[in-house]
Amino acid sequence: MNSLKSHLTLVLSLIAILLSIFLFRIFSQVMHLYQKNIVNNYSIVIVSTKPITSLNISEISSINPININSEIKKLKEKYKNIDFSNLKIPFFYKLKLKNFPSPNKLQEIQKQLKNYDFIKKVMTKSSSQTKIYNLLILLKTTTKIFMFLIAILGFLLIIKQLEVWKLLHYERMYIMELFGAPVWFKGASLFKIAFLDSIISLILTMCLIFLITHSALFNNIINELNINFQLNYFNEIILLLITSFLISFISSVIVVIGKK
Amino acid sequence: MGKLVLAKNITINYNDTQIIKPSSFSINSGDFVFLTGISGSGKTSLIKTLYAEHKIQSGEMYIGEFNLKKINKSKTSLLRKHLGVVFQDFKLISEWNIIKNVMLPLLITGIDKSNAKEMAMQYLNKVKLSHKADKFPFELSGGEQQRAAIARATIHNPVMILADEPISGLDEYSASLVMDLFIEANKLGITIVIASHSIPQNFDILFKQLHIEKGKIYELA
Ligand SMILES: Nc1ncnc2c1ncn2[C@@H]1O[C@H](COP(=O)(O)OP(=O)(O)OP(=O)(O)O)[C@@H](O)[C@H]1O
Ligand SMILES: [Mg+2]
Repeated sequence: MNSLKSHLTLVLSLIAILLSIFLFRIFSQVMHLYQKNIVNNYSIVIVSTKPITSLNISEISSINPININSEIKKLKEKYKNIDFSNLKIPFFYKLKLKNFPSPNKLQEIQKQLKNYDFIKKVMTKSSSQTKIYNLLILLKTTTKIFMFLIAILGFLLIIKQLEVWKLLHYERMYIMELFGAPVWFKGASLFKIAFLDSIISLILTMCLIFLITHSALFNNIINELNINFQLNYFNEIILLLITSFLISFISSVIVVIGKK
Repeated sequence: MGKLVLAKNITINYNDTQIIKPSSFSINSGDFVFLTGISGSGKTSLIKTLYAEHKIQSGEMYIGEFNLKKINKSKTSLLRKHLGVVFQDFKLISEWNIIKNVMLPLLITGIDKSNAKEMAMQYLNKVKLSHKADKFPFELSGGEQQRAAIARATIHNPVMILADEPISGLDEYSASLVMDLFIEANKLGITIVIASHSIPQNFDILFKQLHIEKGKIYELA
């Protein structure tokens, strides 16, 4: 009963830590993809009186001319009585940004663009995406803090468990020492428990991860966000495996080497 | 025979309290030694310094090559593998059964489990405890635990056996059983040190006596 309880504490703590690491990574990844996605879809349209190849604004990642020939052709067909050859047709450009702009940033960019006297008009998109974006930023920060707290809680639980282990195993390890047992011999059973617990936690965590990533909710969100999210299970398992082993191994070494 | 233990002007302290005043003695390899003295005289303390659990305060003490004044952790382990200690409070591992307890010194030296088990059974036989092999320490009487501890202290053929009051809790039959075990070990060349209030009656082999009185260790021929 006692040993089951001590297994449970370590296993649960490890699961909490592993799961928060995993969710943290997933969340960052999704956010990153989504950010890239909306930056890609976001653009500013400008109208210029002369051709532009580059502008001295660091935020801008590309300047693409908008082909308006077809529009002009349509106009020509519609208004046959107007002589278009005398008309000075301005140049249209679509500007892509490096990052999704905050409202302040956007204003700043607009101002910078308007400082060029050949730029006659600057058109930005509506702010609905900005709202979603800000919401996501907020969500990202709070989730990160939350995950961090869970991981800390997991560590605290493990430390608590170490104290229990120390009490439980101290006498036996002391007697072994009186007969000249080396550290690995004294710690053998603890190392075994730690190894077993980290395997159990890893398996349980993987099950939870599988459930989460295959849930309708999760997939709906991914679809809503319209991103190409692909989880590399192999990498995640390796990362969690290493983390799990390291934590439980270090914990047991602390107990074996530490004094009562 | 050569000197196994050499103590020169040693003192033993617990913090500021001196238990043993400057004393000198030696133990030859192959000796059968009784360490006597009244309760509280310092027998257990002296034995503790011999298995390097407690350091001497001053003076010099050697067991073979081991300088007990400046012994480190790995040397301590090495020394202890060559000793067989019977503790006054037995110190059996409570979550292990008796046979596994007796196997402990063999497991530490790396002997494989099945061989160790077979040998442990032989030694349990010698102390008439083979029928309790699968029992746990708390299921045994004090005297039975003591005999298990003695089997554990002798199984790995140590250079020296340090036994702290090994027969104090035993009836005459068990006591003579245990003493015979020590005598047999001694005949094989193992040095025996037994701490005891007194020397058993009709003990008829040659022995040496170290006696502690008023904080000093005396070597009696
Ligand atoms: N860990 C300790 N800390 C402080 N004092 C101690 C400690 N162990 C023993 N002593 C003191 O050292 C003295 C000698 O104790 P020790 O156990 O060596 O006596 P002993 O001869 O073995 O007695 P007994 O025959 O009752 O076992 C006692 O006065 C005891 O109070
Ligand atoms: Mg004593």
